[in-house]
Amino acid sequence: MSNEEFRRDLNNVFDDVSGTPTSNLSDRIRSAVAQPPEARGPYWLAAVAAGVIAVLIVSVLYVAGPLKPAPSQVGGVTSTPTPTASSAPSASPAPSPTASQQPFTCTAENLMPTSVTQPLYAINALRTGTHTGYDRITIEIAVVPVAVTVQGGTTFTRSPSGLQTTLKGKNGILVTMHNTDLHSNYSGPRDIVTGFSGLAEVSIVQDFEGTAQLALGVNGASCYRVTWLTNPSRLVIDVQNS
Amino acid sequence: MSAALIEQRPQALARAVAGDADSFSRLLEPLLDQAYRLAAVMLNDRAAAEDAVQEAAIKAWRKVKQLRGDDTALRPWFLSIVANECRMARRTRWWSVVRLADFRTPAAEPDETRSDLHRALLRLSPDERLPLVLHFYLDLPLEDLARTLGVSTSAARSRVYRAAKRLRADLTIQEVF
Repeated sequence: MSNEEFRRDLNNVFDDVSGTPTSNLSDRIRSAVAQPPEARGPYWLAAVAAGVIAVLIVSVLYVAGPLKPAPSQVGGVTSTPTPTASSAPSASPAPSPTASQQPFTCTAENLMPTSVTQPLYAINALRTGTHTGYDRITIEIAVVPVAVTVQGGTTFTRSPSGLQTTLKGKNGILVTMHNTDLHSNYSGPRDIVTGFSGLAEVSIVQDFEGTAQLALGVNGASCYRVTWLTNPSRLVIDVQNS
Repeated sequence: MSAALIEQRPQALARAVAGDADSFSRLLEPLLDQAYRLAAVMLNDRAAAEDAVQEAAIKAWRKVKQLRGDDTALRPWFLSIVANECRMARRTRWWSVVRLADFRTPAAEPDETRSDLHRALLRLSPDERLPLVLHFYLDLPLEDLARTLGVSTSAARSRVYRAAKRLRADLTIQEVF
């Protein structure tokens, strides 16, 4: 094989591996950097502001009445994870570290009505990763109805067995996805211990009758944000880690 | 790239350093395709490659004030951030992403359909693929390649040669450069 042939063949292989980027990549980049660096950089300023707000809140509580157990404070977010999603925690969503994205929420969220009738879309992949300010779980799937609930503690009930399971971490997030399953296309691990500072463990607790449930054990407060991304279609859940 | 755009680049870089996101995005635009290809080959996963490029762009935007040199330094600087992001993506998700992809690969694309060169390339580690992509695919000059790798030009040259030799044992260094 001549040198020129080697170069040509190698570049053909590179073409095969990489393909072409999706057409919206440049839009993604543009919107990702749309936030001025000043809004991301001076974390000390945000910390000072959070400290001042915390002092004010404590002062008001002290003056207004007997102090009750104060909400825990994680990374500037005041939140109290609750045992069930129905009793809403006294949480105030905080801006995410990457301010171009939507803020974190610490309460239950119904992203689509569960009564929507759709064909079953199997989940293709689960991925986890850690980033500054948040840990991410990516669920590769078409858009389906999703509900997210938060809870204190990391004990979940597996379905349909009814067995209890306890994950790593202190609080929990339960992601329920309808019209889908985690066995047709997905053959990866059923439990993922990440070692991340926010998202500690991910476990499949239900994969039954077209409903899949992922239980997330988190180390801090159960504060998260949900985003749908495309190409391929995927549900992204960021768990606040600082 | 048009002459007018070349003339505008130093001003665009100055505006980007001053905090103009639009100028920064415009500067990055011509580099995105190369950045994506670099990430795709390093990660062997197209969706993860786009995520890596996006994360790298955000990091570059945060650190743009640290960029030293003129606007010609932008490409190796940004590509080095992309490469670091790919390393981080593999390190933090090594068992949930890489192994899942590896498990599914035989069903999706039988190994027999790939060329020997393709299989040999995928057997290399991402850090071994990196100099090959920069030299053969993105045609970076040796100086830019060395900047991207963060090593001297002679070290960059030997990294390219070593990795290329693992694909074709009888290569001489004169055939590579």
